[in-house]
Amino acid sequence: MEKVKLLEVKNLKVYYNSIWGDYKSVDDVSFIAYEGEVLSIAGESGCGKSTLVDGILGLIKPPGYIPSGEVIFEGKDLLKLSSEELRKIRWTKIAYVPQGAMNSLNPVIKIEEQMIDSILDHTNISREEARKLAISRLKEVGLPVEVAEMYPHELSGGMKQRVIIATAIALKPKLVIADEPTTALDVVAQKGILQLLRSLKEDYGITVIVVSHDFAVHAQIADRIAIMYAGKIVEVGPIYDVFKNPLHPYTKGLISSIPVIGKSYIKGIPGLAPSPLNWPSGCRFHPRCPFASEKCRNVEPILKEFNSERYVACHLSR
Amino acid sequence: MKRRSLVTWLLTRIGWYILTLWSAVTVAFITFRLVPGNPIGAYVTQLMQQGKYEINPVEAEKLINEYKKTFGLEGDLLTQYICYFKEVIFHHNLGVSFISFPTPVQVLIIRALPWTIALLSETTVFSWLLGNIIGIIVGWKRGTKVDSVVTSLALVFSQIPYYIVAVVLILLFVYITGTLPPRGAYSSTLYPEFSLTFFLDVAYHAVLPSLSLILVGLCGWLISMRSLAVSILGEDYLLFAQAKGLKEHRILSRYLFRNALLPQITGLAIALGSIVNGAYLVEYVFNYPGMGYLFVTALGRLDYNTIQGCVMLTIFTVLTAILLIDITYPLLDPRIRYGGE
Amino acid sequence: MNNLARFNLAKQVKLYITKGIQDVLRLNSKLKIGMLILLVISALAILEPVINQAILGPISPITPGIFKPLLKPSREHLLGTDLLGRDLLALSLHGLKYSFLIGIVAGFLSSFIGIVIGFISGYKGGIYDSILRTITDFMIIIPTWPILAILATYIKFMRIEGLAMILAIFTWPLSARIIRGQVLSLKERPYVDLAKVTNLSDFEIIFLELMPNILPYIGVGIGNSVIGAVLAETGLEVIGLGPGNIVTLGTLLNWALGFGAVIMGNWNILIAPVLFLISIFLSFNLVNVGLDEIYNPRLKKVTGE
Ligand SMILES: Nc1ncnc2c1ncn2[C@@H]1O[C@H](COP(=O)(O)OP(=O)(O)OP(=O)(O)O)[C@@H](O)[C@H]1O
Ligand code: SF4
Ligand SMILES: [Mg+2]
Repeated sequence: MEKVKLLEVKNLKVYYNSIWGDYKSVDDVSFIAYEGEVLSIAGESGCGKSTLVDGILGLIKPPGYIPSGEVIFEGKDLLKLSSEELRKIRWTKIAYVPQGAMNSLNPVIKIEEQMIDSILDHTNISREEARKLAISRLKEVGLPVEVAEMYPHELSGGMKQRVIIATAIALKPKLVIADEPTTALDVVAQKGILQLLRSLKEDYGITVIVVSHDFAVHAQIADRIAIMYAGKIVEVGPIYDVFKNPLHPYTKGLISSIPVIGKSYIKGIPGLAPSPLNWPSGCRFHPRCPFASEKCRNVEPILKEFNSERYVACHLSR
Repeated sequence: MKRRSLVTWLLTRIGWYILTLWSAVTVAFITFRLVPGNPIGAYVTQLMQQGKYEINPVEAEKLINEYKKTFGLEGDLLTQYICYFKEVIFHHNLGVSFISFPTPVQVLIIRALPWTIALLSETTVFSWLLGNIIGIIVGWKRGTKVDSVVTSLALVFSQIPYYIVAVVLILLFVYITGTLPPRGAYSSTLYPEFSLTFFLDVAYHAVLPSLSLILVGLCGWLISMRSLAVSILGEDYLLFAQAKGLKEHRILSRYLFRNALLPQITGLAIALGSIVNGAYLVEYVFNYPGMGYLFVTALGRLDYNTIQGCVMLTIFTVLTAILLIDITYPLLDPRIRYGGE
Repeated sequence: MNNLARFNLAKQVKLYITKGIQDVLRLNSKLKIGMLILLVISALAILEPVINQAILGPISPITPGIFKPLLKPSREHLLGTDLLGRDLLALSLHGLKYSFLIGIVAGFLSSFIGIVIGFISGYKGGIYDSILRTITDFMIIIPTWPILAILATYIKFMRIEGLAMILAIFTWPLSARIIRGQVLSLKERPYVDLAKVTNLSDFEIIFLELMPNILPYIGVGIGNSVIGAVLAETGLEVIGLGPGNIVTLGTLLNWALGFGAVIMGNWNILIAPVLFLISIFLSFNLVNVGLDEIYNPRLKKVTGE
């Protein structure tokens, strides 16, 4: 099958300026999302996943800034667009399910009104049609119609997450980026949300990028996975291959720390995550890597092709 | 179930109101009586010094007792307390004024109140509206030149007491127009009536006092609106509204302004509730015959009952305003429901 | 905690302090301007005796009849003289000294009361908190200035300390509220739990763990209290209710108003008291806002607390 590039991120850097220096939260990240796939971005808390997403979507606010990089979507660099051009692409082409879904709905406006707002600002349809569209989207994500008339505080976490997804697919965008869509939900709600996200791809052909620190999430929905560590992507590949045969020592550690039912022993990765203020020299994983050598301490490994589908950034692999 | 908890909540809230009101007026009452010095004695001495009456010490003693009776200062503290509030509650009688003897205090208050209400409701509403609109704009444009200039200016002005602005305004007026600015609430040649001439005269007299109140008030509202706006700009739902690619005016009006306005409405209600306070010093500077002027002159001449009446009224209206806000706020903000959770 | 971590922590703290100081000096112009004005005012207030010695010799600036009344500003009298023939510059400096002194003493006293009450309320919680918070809210809700004014009416002669004390009694609740809020939020932070587990006494927790974090808010509290005290005192003086034996900027305004300086356009009588008062309010407020900007929660987030 011919793969069509939908989104290409090239050497993106996102820093936060502070009086202590720059937080290099995203530091030279490149990856591609193809049309009609579910791409996962995995990594520990604080490795820069949300910052990466915000950078792609042009949502970085001071003190954050983008020193360099490109975000190419359908041939255009999003970072170079005017704010009005960017505004038009948002939601019609790229929708976003933010990490703080709990707090992403305006507490004092009814659900349907919030959905209608986003429809009206991108189309020429009437208010009444917009309302109908909003309600049908709510049904599509499995919510009762009454939700339309409710306020956010009257909904459970899972329901709010569904409302956000319904809002995201209101205009059938090409790409949906979901940041930690299941965190803070109970197991049953998690499962429902994941099925729903998967169905976006299957039913509508929407490309989905799912960001999560939770490997169980990726295992359930992803086609391909990118592993992030300390502001960089350290490994990319089809999910099955990566799970079966992880190449990067960090990925190995992560996979062995997935809880497996029946085994009480969970091996974690020893050591603490480093700070974006002061990344370790050489390979950023070396202080925690069991295979670290002198070279690892001094020379930074780059993301190299392992085979036609897999990439890894580690001196051990060649 | 829901209904019942609403009733319970209302009753508790009103009970709390009565309790606070009672303790506040009691504290105020006791403060008055415990204050060192004897107001009647001071009053009689004052009369004697003014040479209005020739009084020998024995007569003075008699006079003092006479006055004590008239002004409700007879008996021990508890008797006075019960007596005072019996009069206030059942006869709406705040006692007799010393300086405008024998006019009762409530009459003085009713005379002063319209002026104060007219001046302060107009200036409060104006400064609230302007302050909020400018505040939200500079909050939205935070970090820009406009923001830093406007905000710094507002910071300066919000810290200057009203009456100092009033003094400066009068000085400027004298220099620019070469005439004296108006004093009082209307020209002494006119008589209060419902006519255009009178109305225009009143408006003319209100210009400078209003300006000094609005200038400072506006800046205060501006600063608080700006900081509300800035904190809401950091909220997830605002980021989401932007990610949705909403048009700027919609984000501004429906997501930012609407949410920031809610706390400001509370502020406005409290400000309106404190109106009866009057603007003591501005009214004093402009000889404006409102509550503030009444209070300050009463203080200056130790008019015990008037002072007390003004304070009681202020406590009552402020606490009532707060009660009313608490009761109506849940109607404005769907997050807050009656009866807590 | 191993030695390495301890070492890093020390390094981090040092970094934090030096960067913090650099930031104060370099980035925050509000704080800088506020400090500058404050410095000038304090210098004028402290040097008042020296300056007035130079202007007037050994005579007190409030003695009437030293010069001709109502002189226009000139080389000898930079601001002219008032109705009673007193040098206005000397008089204003004298007023500034006392306004400033009363503001500072009352402000510190008031924030001391506020801090103690805020700490007990926030840290102890429970019944202490309920009672203290009720009192605090009560004091904030009810209009206290009139009551203060009444007290002042009956106390005609007072020493500075007494006046400051009375002002403090009426202005402490705001700083109590600020400090309580901060203590409450800090109490939830992990290091306080850690300190509790390691059996530090309340005293140690308060002074080693909480105090350093609350310091900026204490600064803000003091600033607010000083502003509040000067505001209340000036208000009293302007309507002629201040203690008759203390001459402050408010007293000068009262004299000027009584004489009709405003209406007659005698700007030279008013300018110094007005400017001095504005400078006092402005400087403390700028320092407050500056501190707030530096320590505001959004910036704190960067440290990943
Ligand atoms: N507004 C900000 N200002 C300064 N630093 C920030 C800001 N937001 C994030 N950071 C820093 O950037 C780093 C990456 O944060 P980010 O939220 O992208 O991580 P994440 O991988 O999404 O983590 P999580 O799983 O907790 O969501 C963090 O270490 C954080 O300290
Ligand atoms: S480069 Fe070296 S330190 Fe980094 S992951 Fe590979 S082996 Fe470990
Ligand atoms: Mg995140």
